[in-house]
Amino acid sequence: MASTTATPKSAAQRSRKYMARRNKITMFLFVVPMLVVFLCMVILPSLQSLQLSFTDWDGISDTYDWVGFDNYVDMLTSGRFWNAVRNTLILGIGSAFVINLISLGMALLLDHIHHFSGFFRTIVYLPALVSAFIASTIWKYMLNYNFGAVNSMLRKAGLAGLTRDWLGDQHIVIWVLLFLICFTLGGNTTLIYLSNLQSVPQELVEAAKVDGANAWQVFRNVTWPMLAGSVTVNFTLSLIAGWAIFDQVQVLTSGGPGFVSETMAFFVYRVGFGEYRAGFGSAAAVILFVVVMISTVISNKFLRDREIQA
Amino acid sequence: MSSTTIPTNTTVPVAGAELTDGTKRKVRDMAGCFIKRKAAKEKERYTVGEVVCMAVVALLFCVVAFPVFYALAQSFRTYSEITIDPMGLPTRISFDNYARLFQDTAFPQATLNTVIITVTTLLILVVILPMAAYGIERIGGRSSRALYLLFLAGLMIPFQVRMIPIVKTFNTIGLYSTLTSVILVHLGGAAGFGILLYCSFIKGVPVEVEEAAEVDGAGKLRTFWQVVFPMLMPVTSAFVITNSLSFWNDYFIPLVMLDSSSAGTINVAINRMMGLLTSQWELIYAGAILSLIPSVIIFAAFQRYFIKGMAVGAVKG
Repeated sequence: MASTTATPKSAAQRSRKYMARRNKITMFLFVVPMLVVFLCMVILPSLQSLQLSFTDWDGISDTYDWVGFDNYVDMLTSGRFWNAVRNTLILGIGSAFVINLISLGMALLLDHIHHFSGFFRTIVYLPALVSAFIASTIWKYMLNYNFGAVNSMLRKAGLAGLTRDWLGDQHIVIWVLLFLICFTLGGNTTLIYLSNLQSVPQELVEAAKVDGANAWQVFRNVTWPMLAGSVTVNFTLSLIAGWAIFDQVQVLTSGGPGFVSETMAFFVYRVGFGEYRAGFGSAAAVILFVVVMISTVISNKFLRDREIQA
Repeated sequence: MSSTTIPTNTTVPVAGAELTDGTKRKVRDMAGCFIKRKAAKEKERYTVGEVVCMAVVALLFCVVAFPVFYALAQSFRTYSEITIDPMGLPTRISFDNYARLFQDTAFPQATLNTVIITVTTLLILVVILPMAAYGIERIGGRSSRALYLLFLAGLMIPFQVRMIPIVKTFNTIGLYSTLTSVILVHLGGAAGFGILLYCSFIKGVPVEVEEAAEVDGAGKLRTFWQVVFPMLMPVTSAFVITNSLSFWNDYFIPLVMLDSSSAGTINVAINRMMGLLTSQWELIYAGAILSLIPSVIIFAAFQRYFIKGMAVGAVKG
């Protein structure tokens, strides 16, 4: 206190620059704790993955040899890897589309409910509280061939012909997984759509109606363009989540039967930890990252462009 | 003040007055006075469309929630009952399975572990995340942008991409299969979205308030904690609630980071009950139901913030 009054004017001016710099350093110190954790837990390990992907490390021994691009070549020429890619595309893109469709539908329904709206919002959100793991665990038993609820219901209803080994039949297993992943009311995604829907100015909707637009036309030409922002957010987030689908696969099928239902995320886990090929697994991890990055950038770019047009 | 700042969002001109009238109106309606109230009637009427929407939402909820109801019903039955008649209902409410879960399995320890992981991670994050976001926003210029983008890149790095080196490192430094390792991994994983959320909110905090505090002689740290941090409460609550659920529900990270030397988290413990030959179905159902209870409590307690928080997150995304 006393020192500020005692400081000469010229010194105060000179020290303005110094103060600004000091200010910057202090602000940087604020960032340091989070930055250190982030670098150690996210950035450095990712770079290390890149490094390990050029080795034949088995995950246990202390030494490993450099093998250049062998891992990548092996992977890109193996049918198992491409099968995992195919599954990831089906589950990732499929679930992103279906979940967004469901969420948008739920949001539109909720938008029309004016009585007890809080209650209805709550019940739409409640299923999202059940984790993918718990839901998959319950489904695993419901889909059990001999003692599961689904098959026993079918048998009781006289539809024994429809019973399947839902998780053991290689022709349907991936579609069963897709169905289970999409068996949701959307949770967060729905809430984001809903909050966007409710911010659509009613005047626009009224004006369209006055001009003689039907419900579909109002939605197509007024509501839908106004939703562009949340479509971008939701679709990008669902896609990122879709590429990393793991819990459902691990619990329900463990990638089986054989390797049929492996996804890329599961492939990395199984190869890296289950088969003692950490170098090979790292190469798969690097490819997974590239896929996530490219798809995020493309989906964001594409959807953002649409936003500006709208 | 508020009546003047809310001009035209409903057909009812003065929304507040209508609300306070509510009880009076009810009494009058019950007495059988059919007074026409144009404005109020608009709100009261149930249209066919709305009732249909309600019915559809309720129906869909029942369909999607069916597995949970099923697990709840089965958790009261014995193993033989479940396998003989999978669709049967419990003949009596017996908590034997729940008692066995606590007496015979690692479930209590696993629950404690899950609580420790969730609470510690959140406490640390709530301290270092807003500080970092504030720092990033106030550094200004190019370094501000660079730091922001660096953290944002974290959003595109799934755990699978970094898990092999992390396990390797933790093995070397002796942290593998400890709760600390899980907490550290969670901290790193939550940073990207947290920074995104906090930064978009801090942009709206006026710098003048902070300058005023500094003129009054408060240091940067004190200014932040006493002036800025309280203003961030809406984001903090949204962040805590959504992340508490995702930490509580997480399965993959503890599965990788904790081996059999640890009791694991709830999900890992349940997964271990799924034996290769025989699974203890009745215990698994009971465990699944128990693990849901805290989520439901958290949601019920903070429901309002939940829905608001989603809106905050959606603004910037």
